[in-house]
Amino acid sequence: MLPFKKISTGRSRMDFMLFGAMIALVVLGALCIMSAVNSYSWSNPIVRTHFIALPVGLIAFFVGKSFNYQIYDEQWKALYGFILLLLIGVLLFGSYQRGSRSWFVLPFFSMQPSEVCRVCTILMAAAFLDRRGRRIREVTSVFYLGLLLLPIFGLIMMQPDFSSVVVTLPALLVLLFCTGVNLFYLALIALLAGVTGFFTISWTYIYLHPELLEIPSVNIFYALARNGWYMGAFAAGMALLGYGAWWLCKQLRIYLPSFYFVLATLMVLAGLVGGIFVEHQMKPHQRKRVEAFLAPRSDPQGAGYNVLQAQIAMGAGGIMGKGLFSGTQSRLGFVPERHTDFILAVVGEELGLWGTLCVLGLYFIILWRIIAVAYSSGDRYGYLVCAGIFGMFFTYMLINYGMLIGIVPVAGIPLPFISYGGSNLVSSLWALGVVQSVYSRRLRA
Amino acid sequence: MTVTKILFNMRLKTMMVLAAVAGAVIALRLIDIQILQHNAYLQMAERNRTQIIYQTAPRGRVFTSDGVEVASNAPSFSLYYLGSNKDSEYLARLAHDFAPQLQVTEEKLFQTLQSGAQSGKAVLLAENLSTRSTVSLQELRFYYPGIYLVEETKRNYPYGVFASHLLGYLGSMDDRQWRKRDTKLGYRLTSKIGKNGIEKKYEQDLKGKDGGIYLEVDYRGRVKSIIEDKKWAAGSDVYLTLDFAVQQAAENGLKNSLTGRGAAVALDPRTGAVLALASAPAYDPNVFVPYSDQPIENTAKKINEYNLAIQGIYPPASTFKVITAAAALESGLLDVTRKVYCSGKYNAGSRIFKCWGTHGPVDFMEGMAHSCDVYFYTVAAQIGAAPIERVQRMFMFGRPTGIDLAGEKAGNLYGPTRRARNKTYWFIGDTLNLSIGQGELLVTPIKLAQFAAALASRGNVYRPYYVEKIVSNQTGKEQIVGRPEILQHADLKPETYDMLFKALKYTVDNGTARRVKIKGLDVYAKTGTAQNPHGEDHGWFMAFAAHPGEEPSIAVAVFVEFGESGSSAAGPIAREMLEAYFNNPAHAAKNKTETDYNELLVGESNAPF
Repeated sequence: MLPFKKISTGRSRMDFMLFGAMIALVVLGALCIMSAVNSYSWSNPIVRTHFIALPVGLIAFFVGKSFNYQIYDEQWKALYGFILLLLIGVLLFGSYQRGSRSWFVLPFFSMQPSEVCRVCTILMAAAFLDRRGRRIREVTSVFYLGLLLLPIFGLIMMQPDFSSVVVTLPALLVLLFCTGVNLFYLALIALLAGVTGFFTISWTYIYLHPELLEIPSVNIFYALARNGWYMGAFAAGMALLGYGAWWLCKQLRIYLPSFYFVLATLMVLAGLVGGIFVEHQMKPHQRKRVEAFLAPRSDPQGAGYNVLQAQIAMGAGGIMGKGLFSGTQSRLGFVPERHTDFILAVVGEELGLWGTLCVLGLYFIILWRIIAVAYSSGDRYGYLVCAGIFGMFFTYMLINYGMLIGIVPVAGIPLPFISYGGSNLVSSLWALGVVQSVYSRRLRA
Repeated sequence: MTVTKILFNMRLKTMMVLAAVAGAVIALRLIDIQILQHNAYLQMAERNRTQIIYQTAPRGRVFTSDGVEVASNAPSFSLYYLGSNKDSEYLARLAHDFAPQLQVTEEKLFQTLQSGAQSGKAVLLAENLSTRSTVSLQELRFYYPGIYLVEETKRNYPYGVFASHLLGYLGSMDDRQWRKRDTKLGYRLTSKIGKNGIEKKYEQDLKGKDGGIYLEVDYRGRVKSIIEDKKWAAGSDVYLTLDFAVQQAAENGLKNSLTGRGAAVALDPRTGAVLALASAPAYDPNVFVPYSDQPIENTAKKINEYNLAIQGIYPPASTFKVITAAAALESGLLDVTRKVYCSGKYNAGSRIFKCWGTHGPVDFMEGMAHSCDVYFYTVAAQIGAAPIERVQRMFMFGRPTGIDLAGEKAGNLYGPTRRARNKTYWFIGDTLNLSIGQGELLVTPIKLAQFAAALASRGNVYRPYYVEKIVSNQTGKEQIVGRPEILQHADLKPETYDMLFKALKYTVDNGTARRVKIKGLDVYAKTGTAQNPHGEDHGWFMAFAAHPGEEPSIAVAVFVEFGESGSSAAGPIAREMLEAYFNNPAHAAKNKTETDYNELLVGESNAPF
């Protein structure tokens, strides 16, 4: 059994284990960032920005902790408006950097509103689900939530900020799962994502292996994304297939509701539409990442270079590591994005296996404590908020580690608390503050 | 507890288990990367950050026994480019300015630069640059960061053709050789290796350990710091048994001989050590390691690797009469005082055998001195061919001398048993041919030298060797390579040897070998003129010499191809070699003082032959 029952009965105003793990990660992160940019001087803009962001983040943490989390529940419509306002604002007034319009550049600092929106979306979705009450198991709950979130994701994709979607969607799935949504719906959503992913990945795979195009069926399949006639024919074919299967079942005296057949056909078609959408939305560098994931060693100088260099850094660190500020891979710039997405490579090279396992362990403590807080929360909203935030951090951890060890494509996602990135640090600390707020009010509600 | 609470609890636990499983998978993979594959990744990381600009170690030198450096090292420079600047305009400018200095075309240099800049590794632009061009290169270097001028050494043979067949030469490796190389010695694809002779055989000792500047570079190839400046370790020196003066005399003599083609070998009869081994025509091994910025004549690259001294097989002709004489003396049938009348021809019944002159009545001494064919026909007819073959076997004719050189020919032993094995008949004519060293009998010049040395040492057939020792430049440790090794002892009666010595000395004093008569020395010699149906006759000369009352210390065999006659073509060369040997104070007579000896030679050199 998991041991979170006992601890949850304490009367403390703050979960110190969660707080301690958080502080440890932040300190470790600050050290690693300084090492990654090979500077501990104030004159380095990255070090400076990070050390300005740190107190701001701590303030955000305490603000999150002292505010009653139920405010978000009550004011969820205002929260929704705030999110839309931010996202529309950034599209109108944001600055265009690195192919996406996702930054507010202010006189003294710049911020990325989608980071804050990520936490706000979870708070808002939790509030919505809390309000559904006993009707949570109905399919309409999921449907309405999707409808509600559609403008948010639409606006984010207009920036576009792919990584934000990649983190928020799984977090929302975890939230839905913990809310008690019928598993069937969740399975459908997962299936939809799976079919979409299947189309995307198989098209990329065919693209990487052009010799497969000589097989006619593969060729037609590959042309699905580009040719409207093929798409129509495919849709008609799928409809026919669904009908045929239903008819066959009927002839065999197997009585299944026709709803399932319609649903299955729709799922495949929706997956195709999703796949085509992703295929056309994907930017060249994102396509490269998928390619590198499918064939990491095929182009060591190109797309696979980043992951390979990161792995070299980690492997070179060994058990004990080379010591802070002594990693050659990071210091000499072989590991790209070493202070943001690939910060773990720096940890691995300079602090060794102990470092990477330490970060993993601290993350695990954080996840465990969030769940403990969720369990002990005084009301359902607190529980849902914790589940959503758990989902968010879990996704972060999974993707960031997975990307390094080669089981997930490179997604360009930072590791909260460790990576450089003010907006991300502040919103992550705020999210943990909200969790603390749930904890401190567990006995009152 | 409500139903909802139970559901929540269950789903939270599911999530926690999921997180635990994910964490375990991640941890296992981390252990895999960071512990199990640690070494492989560490190597990759080191390769990423290190750039090495190599510095070729000087090869070990080669000395003759009297301490003359016959293979040494000359200063040279190599030009490297290790730059972060991948801008093709910059590289084009660089190529434009450097190409004239390096004797390469601008396009080629530009391509080299570009491929180097792409790979991010240090690229060798030119090697073996002479000191002359480095002055201007040093100046240019300041305008182009990333250019490194590394001081190295290149092989140099100060005496050019000197002993080139023994020394060998250097050359580049091809891909296949590089893959098969000894990895411990750290060869690079641009390394030069010995291709022949000593350079090839003692490659491992001569090579040395290359040094280099180990630079730390960042991901764009910019140099950040110097990790290590490793000094090279020079290769070990090889000491030969060759005597510089004797070798020089042999080579000059062959070069100036009638045809310029031939071989001369000198051995120490007491040990089998090679004092000289010359083969003409020779080549200059310097042409393989030229300064790259100086023009080379392509014609010079055509070389003659054929080593006539060990690969040329010819009938030994009259020099073989010593064997016939030995067989006759050994048989006890020969009365040395008995005279044979030479009318210029010998009647063998079915055929008439000719002598090269008309000598009248000759006894054994006269027969040897004038190399009378009729005398030896008569003797051979008396003793038969079998004893002659037996003596041949004693001196190991028809087998290689066993010198440590590739491609040595064995020659051919000739006699009735050999014939019998081939299932053909042996005629009286064969016996007569054999007695004067014609027919199917074939020897190499070094074989004849070995025979002369064996005779001089009264029967010890030594394996010739030419490398004495290898001395490490690092530890000073000496490794003795060549030791005297008796292959066989030719067990003839002492009286036989006495008689042969007497006859050979008589040949020098009164016979065909008068050219090697040197006052104050006991010289024993025999000439030979091999009949050649395809052209001019070949000249042979075989000699050994000693201070009076001492055992012989040098044995010589000289061969001049198409030299017309042994005494006129090969004789002077043998004399020069003997003189060169005894000129050396180290080889002075033991019972005489040095000054006496020098006076003696000065007086002698002007005397007519």
